Amino acid sequence: MRTLGQFVAVLRKDLTIEFRSRDILYPMALFSFLLVVVFSFAFLSDPAKARDYGPGIVWVTVLFSSTVGLNRLFDRERENGCLWALLLGPVPAGAVFAAKVVGHLLFTGLMEALTLPLVLLFFDLPVVDVPAFLAAVALGTVGVSLVGTLFSAMLMNARMKEVLLPLVTYPVLVPVVIAGVKVTALAVGAPLAEEPGPWLRFLAGFDMVFGVVTLLLFERMVRT
Amino acid sequence: MRTGWFEDVKNPVAGLAVAAAVAVVAALVAVFFVAPREATLGISQKIFYFHVASAIHMMVLFALCGLCGLAYLGMRGRPGRWTAVVDGLGVAAAEVGVVLGAVVLVTGPLWARKAWGTWWTWEPRLTLSLMVFLLFLAYLALRAFAGSDRFGRGVASGLAVVGLPALYFIHFAVERWGGAHPQVVFKGGLQNPDMQVAFYASLLAMSLVSATLVVLRLRIERLKGRLDALYLALDRRSPGA
Repeated sequence: MRTLGQFVAVLRKDLTIEFRSRDILYPMALFSFLLVVVFSFAFLSDPAKARDYGPGIVWVTVLFSSTVGLNRLFDRERENGCLWALLLGPVPAGAVFAAKVVGHLLFTGLMEALTLPLVLLFFDLPVVDVPAFLAAVALGTVGVSLVGTLFSAMLMNARMKEVLLPLVTYPVLVPVVIAGVKVTALAVGAPLAEEPGPWLRFLAGFDMVFGVVTLLLFERMVRT
Repeated sequence: MRTGWFEDVKNPVAGLAVAAAVAVVAALVAVFFVAPREATLGISQKIFYFHVASAIHMMVLFALCGLCGLAYLGMRGRPGRWTAVVDGLGVAAAEVGVVLGAVVLVTGPLWARKAWGTWWTWEPRLTLSLMVFLLFLAYLALRAFAGSDRFGRGVASGLAVVGLPALYFIHFAVERWGGAHPQVVFKGGLQNPDMQVAFYASLLAMSLVSATLVVLRLRIERLKGRLDALYLALDRRSPGA
């Protein structure tokens, strides 16, 4: 119960700072919007082919834009050694990590709520299977947040962290992109002989396994 | 200062190197003179002996790197001999693994061009090799740029540990993604006994070569650590110098 209270306290602190400064949400949303605009010029507008590349654009946008947020996620904690102060207190590292993950998840979710409708609009993708699409985005974003937050925290003080973070996280997140693209393609009615169910279970499994792995590793790595 | 096997500069790694050299020559003889020419693929099939041996060892070294990361984090990076061994072994495995990965990714397409008629397909095993290679490169990038202090080592170890379950998921996803691939060529194994001899000979040769390289690399890492310690001692003795 106490841990839950500490989790809420850290999360509330982050949300309060964010909604006063908007220095994660604003760059992330703007970047994702620009990304979608650039993508719409990068492909020849052939409505018949939109189904082929639309799902990919959805997931590249999610991945790239969430990286922008991840790069900034621990900036506030770096100044004056705030993270170490936070961890020196009688707070389990797991609670801090969970709060950071949920924070990033909320910011990314807001960004997606703004940007993904634009992708569907610009590329004229009719979502046939709305629950599957939403489930894929939600589960995929959880995976991105878990892996991304772990390495964002670890690389907080590293030189060139903006470059290192995608280098490290993208190979690990390849399965999320694969599953996400598949479910999204199915959700917009791509003629594939598959069901979204197994892919969604795959994403849920990824989230569960990496939820445990990243939580344990965070605790270990910050104390190493 | 008393030095153990690990610190000893004149460590008899030469014996391992000689064994590796002999095994490589033996493997080359077995591949080119003992094993028969494959009926349909001809001489290009011989690349298989190097390709598969490299791929197997790349995977083994990746697993080793992950286990070293796990052990390093398990010891919480406390300075000590075993922490240094585990950490050095992780880097050594990753660096040799990248070399083997390059061998796999060069020989694979060369062979695929002949056998499948294309340089590259997103076949599950191919994709997995590529992802292992990329994870190794990310690990070495972390070692190079995130600092070689305790912090940088911890991050790299974390990546190596995360890499293990990640590879499982990547393999699973790619296998489903690609659907049913009919071109799993060596599923039935090598029937010809002479080919088996050549295959196991090249496997052994690759084991010895990898082991030699890993041990050599491990010693470089250790000597670096000793040099750092000597510099520190020198600084302490003559401050300001």
